[in-house]
Amino acid sequence: MEDCVIRTENLVKKFGNNITAVDDVSFEIERGEVVGYLGPNGAGKTTTIKILTNLIEPTSGRACINGIDVNRYPKEALKDVGSLIGVPGVYGYLTPNEVLTYFGKVYRMSKEKIDQRIEEVLEMVNLSGWRHSKIESFSTGMERRLAIGKSIFHEPSILILDEPVLGLDPEGIREMRELIKGFQEKDVTVFLSSHLLDEVSKVCDSVIFLYDGKMIERDSVERIDQVMKQYRLIEVEFLEKLSESDLDELKKIPVIDKVEKINQTKFRIMKKEGDPASTADILRRTIEEGYDIISYSPKKADLEDFYVSLVGERGGPK
Amino acid sequence: MKSIMEDISEDVKNTCLTVSFELKKHFRMKRMIISFALAIGLPLIFYIVPRIWASFPDTAEEFANLNLSFVNLLIIISGSLFAGDSVVGEFEEKTGLLLFSTPQRHSTIFIGKYIGALLPTLAVVSIYYLTTSLEIIGIYGTGGISIEFFKSFFIALVYTTSAVSLIFFFSSILKRKITSTLLGFFSLMMILPITSSVLQFLVDVEPWYILTYFEGLITDVFVGAGPIGGGPEGQPGQFSPDFYTGLIVMVLYTLILFSVGVFMANRRRME
Repeated sequence: MEDCVIRTENLVKKFGNNITAVDDVSFEIERGEVVGYLGPNGAGKTTTIKILTNLIEPTSGRACINGIDVNRYPKEALKDVGSLIGVPGVYGYLTPNEVLTYFGKVYRMSKEKIDQRIEEVLEMVNLSGWRHSKIESFSTGMERRLAIGKSIFHEPSILILDEPVLGLDPEGIREMRELIKGFQEKDVTVFLSSHLLDEVSKVCDSVIFLYDGKMIERDSVERIDQVMKQYRLIEVEFLEKLSESDLDELKKIPVIDKVEKINQTKFRIMKKEGDPASTADILRRTIEEGYDIISYSPKKADLEDFYVSLVGERGGPK
Repeated sequence: MKSIMEDISEDVKNTCLTVSFELKKHFRMKRMIISFALAIGLPLIFYIVPRIWASFPDTAEEFANLNLSFVNLLIIISGSLFAGDSVVGEFEEKTGLLLFSTPQRHSTIFIGKYIGALLPTLAVVSIYYLTTSLEIIGIYGTGGISIEFFKSFFIALVYTTSAVSLIFFFSSILKRKITSTLLGFFSLMMILPITSSVLQFLVDVEPWYILTYFEGLITDVFVGAGPIGGGPEGQPGQFSPDFYTGLIVMVLYTLILFSVGVFMANRRRME
């Protein structure tokens, strides 16, 4: 059995002549890994996932699942894959029982197994009492939960989820997190895209960062956490906007490692971890330089800050 | 890897699953009930009205001719209902995000959708003919059912297949369910018949390549109509569709529109 269950090779997807949604993306995901695919809206996350689930074809490159080219042999490649892409429609005029029965048959499940799984899955997504109700009477969150139920219905060993917590309430988000953690224990491979970096850091083993269609970094959440532990972040808001020369002066203050602009008056100062006195030192020196500060909030650097610093290095929004 | 036969058998199974899923959808959306009610209700009008207020025509052929002149309308209504949103609906409603990411060839899904739209439309036409035949038997006896009646039924089924193929084709290429359904409906109801009339009456050309030109064959079989010609010596517009030409043109429409429809649907992506 191959260890690498999801692989993309130099994946490129262009829309028309001008838009390159995915630009030479290559990665491998091993069995049992839970990998987050991170990036802002429009980074190319959903496009990659649509290629991996045969909803669109790549302009060039290959996407393979269990070593099988998804776009050439979808029947074989997607047999053991559960997917949730974007916010799908869920056949409002049917009932969850009818929808899941159809998909169970597509996955060649026996009648007994379909019945058993409908009960289990609807219980899992809190829709037990709605088995024979028309989906058109469901709220958006319930529809979303049913779509999640469909993705895990045939007990796949690979899950591809695009923004899985989108449209869920806080309780639903917590349940989704627990569900993914449960898959982790069952050795299910999970590839999930999100722009909610905090959520991803809670469930993923490793993350792939995407920006402007390009893969800019891949690392384990643990290692990123270790790297970020060495830093402290201070968000500073000035009374008036800072000029470029002001900014250069600010950067000259010792112990300041990096200054990132959030907007005209708001900046993120990154400094190597030191004693709390250095945080106080930065504040004192900044005031001494004559800047009027209206807010000064130190915090621990996290995955989001790591991503922002990566994007900043590539000339993206800081 | 599977053998070719296993592969084909899986594809056939997937197509059958889509057909049954489509039929369930039509049933749940009450399209079937509406169409079947029309298929029984329309011919009943032709039975009840003369029974109460007038008298029945002298011959079974005349009765069938009158009764079946409305089957075309039913074909258009049912075809638009069942095929109008078959492909485009999956894209517009985004249900395709669930459906097309399953381990099935997309073409098997689209073929299933076509059959899922065709079968109930054929069933509606069959119910219409069955009701009419029962009426004929009730009024004129079993002898009232002539060979022409079966010929008419046969041509109605072929015409239904080509009409559904045309609407399915629109559903494969258009972006909105409503556009595809209305374009299908008005093409068969107005656009093609008007084009056909313009060619016949104003240009004096037989529009043998226009599908709706042959819809008249459904009732023409009862009056033994054949080609009466046009051209310089005939009166403008005096064309009558030939049975066999009609059959060939309808089959060609079906084959071409179905194949192109599946091809175009297969090329569409959930972008």
